[in-house]
Amino acid sequence: MKTLLICEYRQGKLLDVSYELLAFAERLGADKAMLLIGDESQAPKFGGKVYLADAGKYGEYNPDAHKQIVLEAARREQADLIVFVHSSYGWDLAPQVAASLRCAQVSEIVGVVESKFEVAACNAKLRRIATPKTPQAALTIQAGAFGYRGEAQGTPQIERIEIPAGPARIEFVGYEAAEKKELDLAKADVIVSAGRGVGKKDNVTAIAALAKALGGELGATRPVVDAGWVEHSHQVGSTGQVVSPKLYVACGVSGAIHHLAGMKNSEFIVAINKDKDAPIGEVADVLVVADVMQLVPALTAKLAK
Amino acid sequence: MKILVCIKQVPDMESRFKVNADGVWYDERDLAFRMNEYDEYAVEQAVRIKEQLGGAADITILSIGPARVVEAIKKGMAMGGDRGVHVKDDSLAQRDPWQLASTIAAFARSKNFDLIFTGMQSQDRGSTQVGAILAELLGYACATTLIGFELNGDVVTARRELEGGVKAIVRFRLPAVVTCQLGLNTPRYPTLPNIMKVRQKELLAFPVADFLTEESLTITEKMYLPEKKGRARVLEGDVSQLADQLLAILKEKTTVLR
Amino acid sequence: MNFDLTEEQKLIQETARAFAQTELEPVAARLDQTGDREIFLGNLKKLAELGFMGLNIREEYGGAQAGMIAFSLALTEIARACASTAVTVSVSNLVCEVIQSVGTEAQKRAYIPKICSGENAAGSFALTEAGAGSDPAAMTTTATLDGDAWVLNGSKRFISSAPYAGVFVAWAVTDKTAPKGKGISCFLVEAESEGLVIGKAEEKMGQHASATNEILFNDCRIPKDALLGQINGGLRVAVGELTGGRVGIGSLALGIGLAAMDYATRYAQERIQFGQKIANFQAIQWMIADSYTELEAARLLLMQAAFRRDQGQSFVREAAMAKLFATEAANRACYTALQMMGGYGYSRDFPLERYARDVRVTSIYEGTSEIQRLIIAREILKNVNHE
Repeated sequence: MKTLLICEYRQGKLLDVSYELLAFAERLGADKAMLLIGDESQAPKFGGKVYLADAGKYGEYNPDAHKQIVLEAARREQADLIVFVHSSYGWDLAPQVAASLRCAQVSEIVGVVESKFEVAACNAKLRRIATPKTPQAALTIQAGAFGYRGEAQGTPQIERIEIPAGPARIEFVGYEAAEKKELDLAKADVIVSAGRGVGKKDNVTAIAALAKALGGELGATRPVVDAGWVEHSHQVGSTGQVVSPKLYVACGVSGAIHHLAGMKNSEFIVAINKDKDAPIGEVADVLVVADVMQLVPALTAKLAK
Repeated sequence: MKILVCIKQVPDMESRFKVNADGVWYDERDLAFRMNEYDEYAVEQAVRIKEQLGGAADITILSIGPARVVEAIKKGMAMGGDRGVHVKDDSLAQRDPWQLASTIAAFARSKNFDLIFTGMQSQDRGSTQVGAILAELLGYACATTLIGFELNGDVVTARRELEGGVKAIVRFRLPAVVTCQLGLNTPRYPTLPNIMKVRQKELLAFPVADFLTEESLTITEKMYLPEKKGRARVLEGDVSQLADQLLAILKEKTTVLR
Repeated sequence: MNFDLTEEQKLIQETARAFAQTELEPVAARLDQTGDREIFLGNLKKLAELGFMGLNIREEYGGAQAGMIAFSLALTEIARACASTAVTVSVSNLVCEVIQSVGTEAQKRAYIPKICSGENAAGSFALTEAGAGSDPAAMTTTATLDGDAWVLNGSKRFISSAPYAGVFVAWAVTDKTAPKGKGISCFLVEAESEGLVIGKAEEKMGQHASATNEILFNDCRIPKDALLGQINGGLRVAVGELTGGRVGIGSLALGIGLAAMDYATRYAQERIQFGQKIANFQAIQWMIADSYTELEAARLLLMQAAFRRDQGQSFVREAAMAKLFATEAANRACYTALQMMGGYGYSRDFPLERYARDVRVTSIYEGTSEIQRLIIAREILKNVNHE
């Protein structure tokens, strides 16, 4: 089986998420070729064939041209599977490519079960095995589901793709950088919360540092807020904000029911607590039995590397 | 300006889902259905365009599905749609995005819509395909995942939401299909008088066979509940090793360390 | 027989639920504790703009003409989030309905659209007096004709929304010589009327966000055409039109009861004691089973009363039964729910203690449970032949 893996490229850079496409293809045990619409200097570290089209010429975002380039690469490669990341780029392009080829598309693949595609449904509350009925198919894979392990390495064999100039119906005007907004914990992907177990106000700095290192926000329990260690806007719980981030790290949080009500639906919960029997263990995925003020700085230091 | 808004009716995502007897879809019994959240933004944007044009727009709200979807169509009409189109299909769950897009395209092809709005995905199937396939089938420009939309004459300037908080500004001419991301606007609540006045508006119904001639390109072989979370995995020992262990787990189990 | 709601009714319920959960629920605890009136009035205005103040009012006066089933559904959803808001919506709807039912065309046009649109924050009923609660005919407020004006004197108690109501439907004795109850008339008193004084605010056990005040008529002069309905026919208006209000209060109570049980039931699925979820204990399961059974019965009684009204049938008996049963069932449900949560139920960190305070008055206002029983018995007995 041959896969054509469509790299993600933005603002002059190859995005790391592209390597997940390799992990996915490896999981399938399929042959791999990649397509980068970008600059050659950004070619993925991959010891196989990389089709390259120049973003300087075709644009970083130009669905009409990109579609033609993907179709051309797929034709040359005789790819069975054209694989995109399940991202704003894949959402946009994969269906247009699939429709052009009149082939099946399977979206948001989160796993491979007995060589079949497992996809999420209903807010990830259900899973589906979705199977293409056509010999060729476009796929989008959930970022993070196939986690690329190890250091990417290899020198690609570049094959250039040029396509005839055609109309570009969507004109790309430019990027708008992420704006710095007021604290809205509900929108954070990562929340690292301080509970009374952090000991004293000065120690909150270490918790905030871990939050920053994980690209997240600082949260807090009610006692910590009431004690004036952290502002109210950071409070998680029945009287604060109700959150469900991708990762919730509860530091020195015992797990009072008020607090659990505000965070128990988080996707992944890590509790760091001296007490192995703390009720936070009821909702946590991982309970690290340790002194918060020893473990948290150690984590932050390792993340900085 | 002729506008089409394609909406889907989906279960309330807070529901407890069970798999149906065939094992290929969820059991629809005992579920409360409502308009797909993304589609509410689509309806709202269409109504805002009509308001911007001083009423010089005609909005058709279309949904495919069994009799229950009429409620969602009526909500769209109460929010400001001029007309409803119910494509009657008791086998919605078995249709793949290709069939849905083909059905809508067959309905829309001769009607010269200037703008077609839909949600970027449905909350149940979540395939993120129908809008873009529809554009391809109709030969329309397509802009997806919009969180900003501005119409000047026949030129649209839109903001697409990319990853990591970055946005892309794009510009295109009508006709176009656009798919709406949460946050594009603030969908209005339908007012009670408007809900009651929906009866006075046109609601057309067609059997799906009038438009659907395509076979599906994908099949769902099986649907099932994901494995349940167990109790916490307990890590104990030396602090430095614990930190490494924890980071390894986070790399494996979450997407935040990418 | 058909228990399905119409699509319109479902949409109204969905709209009420979405609004209540998004706009009302997040502020309900704060409004209860601080009485922040600005937010409260802002929400009433938004509800009016959505059409919730004139659910049964004809379109020409700015209403939704949605019927009493929709009214009941909407109030339950609003009360699930905020009982204070729900009671204000219920009373304002009732004020509009009374004016629509017995008012002159000019009165309808002058007052109903203002309440329906939110130009007036609320409408208010001024019936109860210190010495005239369950026995309104014992009222002592008087109205006497002086040239082209009525002059009102007296005072009213427990008047909902008094500080921000745009118009009061007020009752006063117009013929002291008439037999009891036969000399009372109904008037429309604008908030700005000369001699109308908003008196002291009641310090209530619950429903803190909505104001309840004494009002005083000190030679309050209102135009002659402010008479609402027939002279000396006022008490019949009060008794007749309050029937719809009973469905409103019953629906409101149901909403509080459901909110309490839903919260406590979720808690029971999470709370671990003796090494297991307390929902595993039969003691808790019986509480859940009994409360939800009673609340479901209440819902069906309310739906039946509302259905009869929408069909143009008599619903006096059904409305009284529904109000009696729903408010008492909701009181029991709140008691049970608080018990299920133990100490947390009694804590202000959780909403149970608010529900328990808010629900208590529902079996008192707009006709106590005892008055409902009198009405029910009277309605039954009058249909039983006797020699």
